[in-house]
Amino acid sequence: MALTGLLVGLIFGFALQRGRFCVTTAFRDMWQTKRSSYFTAFIAIIAIQAVGVAVLDATGVVHLTHKALPWLAVAVGSLIFGVAMVLAAGCATGTWYRAGEGLVGSWIALVLYGASAAAMKYGPLAPLNDGLRSVTAPATTIPATFHISPWIVVAVLVIVAGYLVYRELTRPRRTVATLPPTRTGLAHLLFEKPWHPLATALIISAVAIVAYPLSFASGRQAGLGITTPSANLANWFATGDSTRIDWGVWLVLGILFGSSIAALASGEFRVRVPDAGTAIRSAIGGIGLGIGASLAGGCTIGNSMVETAQLAWQGWLAFGFTFLGVGLAVRYLQPRAARSVPHTLTSAPAAPEPARVPVSA
Amino acid sequence: MATHILETGGNVCPFPLIEAREAISQIPVGDDLVINFDCTQATTAIPAWAAEAGHDVTDFRKVGKASWSITVRKSA
Repeated sequence: MALTGLLVGLIFGFALQRGRFCVTTAFRDMWQTKRSSYFTAFIAIIAIQAVGVAVLDATGVVHLTHKALPWLAVAVGSLIFGVAMVLAAGCATGTWYRAGEGLVGSWIALVLYGASAAAMKYGPLAPLNDGLRSVTAPATTIPATFHISPWIVVAVLVIVAGYLVYRELTRPRRTVATLPPTRTGLAHLLFEKPWHPLATALIISAVAIVAYPLSFASGRQAGLGITTPSANLANWFATGDSTRIDWGVWLVLGILFGSSIAALASGEFRVRVPDAGTAIRSAIGGIGLGIGASLAGGCTIGNSMVETAQLAWQGWLAFGFTFLGVGLAVRYLQPRAARSVPHTLTSAPAAPEPARVPVSA
Repeated sequence: MATHILETGGNVCPFPLIEAREAISQIPVGDDLVINFDCTQATTAIPAWAAEAGHDVTDFRKVGKASWSITVRKSA
């Protein structure tokens, strides 16, 4: 049953790569370029998934429980995670899928992310993690706090997302240059055509919803999640404890393979070695991702995209602090990094005008 | 009208776009800026920026595995 995780991960990784769906880009664009297409797509995924979760919960297919909110660890961890995802040039999921495109910087970030998450959950840093996470507030979900039906909160979410999607679709559209097609039909659609962020959002929403019954059926009572599975994989590597290999571990491996398949099939896989500065940022970012997500109890997927759809305070608190962390990194760390990134600008003189030869009649 | 070539190979997003914006501010109006890049996300980010900023894209192609080249003509 755990193998369904691999299948879900393959589709997820494929869609992330082809859709160029990167949560770091979605959040960073809001601070930097004010381009909101991917952020709107991200909110749409939360809203669609919230409807799905509410239906699954109401029909008794799944039953989700929430513990008291470890607010301090969620806030601090999410802030660290937000900064780290800018440094690593990808959130946890982004790092998994970029690793599948052959980016060596993401390989560095991925290994250190898995190792630091394992250290926080199972290793020498567990006392720190447990200590900070023991500071809790008696709050679980938004409907529980306000004693209202979850459907009211879901409706508000759907209205907000619907408005943002409407604004995105009716925005005056400038013609954006696209690559000349070299394939036709399904191959063009799957391996070449740029996917609309909202189309990618629909696929990811479906992935996020089917994840619940499939994961529950395997005995893992959660939706999409990245960090605990990554820590479990690292744990298994070190100990050989095969009980660590659950649905979630297959899911993250599926993301890696799904992205690799998409990149290979579209001619976008290439081993790319970073310069020293990028390698250092990837390493620090990877450690920050593991520590931050462990403290916060989730990453941009587990918290900002999944716990939010479950209407849990943890998800929304994490979303806010991750978004803030991204803003801080864009403002204070990125300009420094931009100066150190190697690039060259060379100018060629204009070609001489061809001599005009007067033609006599 | 001259052509300027910006090499950003090996740089991950958002740096190819940041460098492109920096480079285009240094060249005269009407000149072409060729941006060579290998970050996948830039295949959407750079054309979107060019459209937004009003620069014409005179050429956009994939030059190899995970390698792209886009030519942007600076507008006033």
